[in-house]
Amino acid sequence: MTTTTTQSPRAKKLGIKERYSYLTRGLDWEPSYQPREKIFPYTDYEGIRIHDWDKFEDPFRLTMDAYWKFQAEKERRLYAVIDSFAQNNGQMNVTDARYINALKIFLTAVSPLEYAAHRSYAHVGRHFDGVGPRIACQMQAIDELRHAQTQIHTISHFNKFFDGLHDPWHMFSRVWYLSVPKSFFEDAMSAGPFEFLTAISFSFEYVLTSLLFVPFMSGAAYNGDMATVTFGFSAQSDESRHMTLGLEIIKFMLEQDEGNVPIVQKWIDKWFWRGYRLLSIVAMMMDYMLPKKIMSWKEAWEIYFEQGGGALFTDLARYGIRLPKYHEIASAEKDHYSHQAWSTFYQYTHAAAFHTWLPDAGEEAWMREKYPESYDRLYAPRYAHWGAEADEGKRFYNNGLPQLCQVCQVPAFFTEANDPTRISLRTCEHEGEHYHFCSDGCRDIFLDEPEKYVQAWLPVHQIYQGNCGGATVPEVLDWYHLNGGADNLDYKGSPDEALWQSWQASKAGTGT
Amino acid sequence: MTYQLCVEPLGETIEVEEGQTILDACLRAGVYLPHACGHGLCGTCKIDVLEGEVEHRDASSFALMDFERDEGKTLACVATLAADTVIEADLDDEPDAEHHPVRDYHATVARVERLAGDILGLWLALDDGPLAFQAGQYVMLEVPGIAGPRAFSIASPPSQAGEIELHIRLVPGGKATGWLHENAREGLKLKFAGPYGRFHVRRSANLSKLFLAGGSGLSSPQSMILDLLEKGETGPILLVHGARDAAGLYHADIFRALEEAHANFAYLPVVSGEDASWQGARGFVHEAIERRFGGRFDGQQAYLCGPPPMIDACITTLMRGRLFERQIFHEKFLTPADAAQARSPLFKRI
Repeated sequence: MTTTTTQSPRAKKLGIKERYSYLTRGLDWEPSYQPREKIFPYTDYEGIRIHDWDKFEDPFRLTMDAYWKFQAEKERRLYAVIDSFAQNNGQMNVTDARYINALKIFLTAVSPLEYAAHRSYAHVGRHFDGVGPRIACQMQAIDELRHAQTQIHTISHFNKFFDGLHDPWHMFSRVWYLSVPKSFFEDAMSAGPFEFLTAISFSFEYVLTSLLFVPFMSGAAYNGDMATVTFGFSAQSDESRHMTLGLEIIKFMLEQDEGNVPIVQKWIDKWFWRGYRLLSIVAMMMDYMLPKKIMSWKEAWEIYFEQGGGALFTDLARYGIRLPKYHEIASAEKDHYSHQAWSTFYQYTHAAAFHTWLPDAGEEAWMREKYPESYDRLYAPRYAHWGAEADEGKRFYNNGLPQLCQVCQVPAFFTEANDPTRISLRTCEHEGEHYHFCSDGCRDIFLDEPEKYVQAWLPVHQIYQGNCGGATVPEVLDWYHLNGGADNLDYKGSPDEALWQSWQASKAGTGT
Repeated sequence: MTYQLCVEPLGETIEVEEGQTILDACLRAGVYLPHACGHGLCGTCKIDVLEGEVEHRDASSFALMDFERDEGKTLACVATLAADTVIEADLDDEPDAEHHPVRDYHATVARVERLAGDILGLWLALDDGPLAFQAGQYVMLEVPGIAGPRAFSIASPPSQAGEIELHIRLVPGGKATGWLHENAREGLKLKFAGPYGRFHVRRSANLSKLFLAGGSGLSSPQSMILDLLEKGETGPILLVHGARDAAGLYHADIFRALEEAHANFAYLPVVSGEDASWQGARGFVHEAIERRFGGRFDGQQAYLCGPPPMIDACITTLMRGRLFERQIFHEKFLTPADAAQARSPLFKRI
């Protein structure tokens, strides 16, 4: 193909960027009776130096007027699909009720995060001393509220049929495994505005986003959940704005002052590791909870982090930014991550608001193919043992409480990167107290800001301290608002399974 | 079947194959459009259709809503053309860009000179009138008996519109350059089309100019520097020319003479290989500028021309020295393989 240049026949007019800048000029103002540092008290203390806020490029150049029009149209379309899903009993057409358990985790763990994101973006939007990021954060705050609201509608729909979704907001602040996403986000929210954007807009919504989106949205599509797929499309059309904010803020900090480079590197290291640990739950959902699987966690990690992230960090190297610390540990763990997470939830499902199960023969064949290095050697024998116990009526539930990591709050079940038979455990002393960690990554984060992480609300410690309703499992479950015998335990024998089988029977015309 | 696509605000027209996406055609023609997902889902590549007709194809109904379709928007990453079309994309306006029409030209070789071991200088006298171009642009030269034209940057300044100078490096195993090296002689008739490209000096920015050339990549910088000096540029201009040995530093006499005549122009030749005869600076171009500037490039504007590893090393050195994308320029000759290479969306032009 060849190119030809011709004199443009059209009259010269303003470009999109110039039009936007004329449209929005003068919307910021210089304060007259208060000093700037009192109005924007948070923009300095993190050590990030900004010399010229006008160099922040608002990549979307969306006016508020246009924003409302877009979002209203998206809502109209999305609710049409959600309504039709409800009217046509879409829940009966998913591949299997086990899929709903993946959805339960997503809805109880992520929906409150969307709301937390709404609050956080509103907060940092207020506190940025520059109009570009302020507007971008303001719009994202509204997007996040919209996402939370949509997901609440979805919770409401599935709660009519399935267990474990009746009190998600209460559970979010109490149930042990939900403290993992909660503490992750609160760590970001309680940081300064620049660290918050590095944590959420860049590390989570840009670097790790595909690892979250692919399992949920493709997983939903593969498993017949069209309402969630439509939500995914709707959210993804906002996501481009969110991801771009992440990239722009990183470039902006790195270009404004070279003193910012080591600070940004430290945050990228920290939030890569925080995000990666959070995704351990996603890893197990991909490999174990989708009846029809998309790709393995290992494959997703290779495609979206090792290859996709590799290209990003090759470019970032020009600013003096290197790959996040401990990325090689994450890659070494890819053969084990999902299996270790699922094994843990399998043992503790009596205290969880979703069901677990052992993989069936077809699923085991898939595991062997996807994990030839690790599955047969390490995990299949464990499941065979548990399966035999379950057949004898002794389904294994672990009544000991696990050691939680002081930073990520995940039970310390991960193994050493070079030896998957040894649990990885790190400790340190701080002001006479002993603290425990799942990894060097989490320990480093603690040591950098111990005064922050000593305050962690660790569910197991809280139970032992008598702050969670009592000393026995039923008392704690009551305090969680968890319905024992319905929300928890193995999928086999659950009310969810009975309901699903009755639907299948009525579809087959045998009636029940 | 191909269609013409005019991209505003650049005013550049490219050809698009039937079924080819607008984004693909633009990237292959060296026209950057903002994009991210590549599958019609995110909406980053949304453009305005000013004239003509497009097919929206797989655009998500959330990323491109009905009312936007009615308003003439489309997503470049999935849309294809159904007629000759004019689009407007969210691109930076280039106040220094000149627009010269592309035409076919007939020329006669007026002079042939071996400039360096593997570089041949060709001076083409234009048979049917002068060529209007902007310093930094290139032509697509047809080589007799070889399918497909080849791109060569113009080394002479636009003031010499009746005779253009090209630097032809012998590409190992290259058919077209091999033919020219063997057969080019005075009186040979050649055909070319041009001028092409958006590599030009951004004079309005009023910054010090840093030209970094490797091997035959000297051609565009030579044209740009001659043009600047002719136009009375008084700001500092530095040319760094890198070659493997001293013999590769062709036209050194021209630049030494310019250095004598213009207080604001400096010439820094640098040799990377083992060459005992060479008395000057040693190392690669990026090492030479690192030393010369003490690793700090604030206040510069850099123009890069040369082999891809040199470009890459120079961009890294410049950025580590706090010179960023908006002040770094280089000509990109994209092949389909380059377009398919995994790149992050962090940078737009470099």
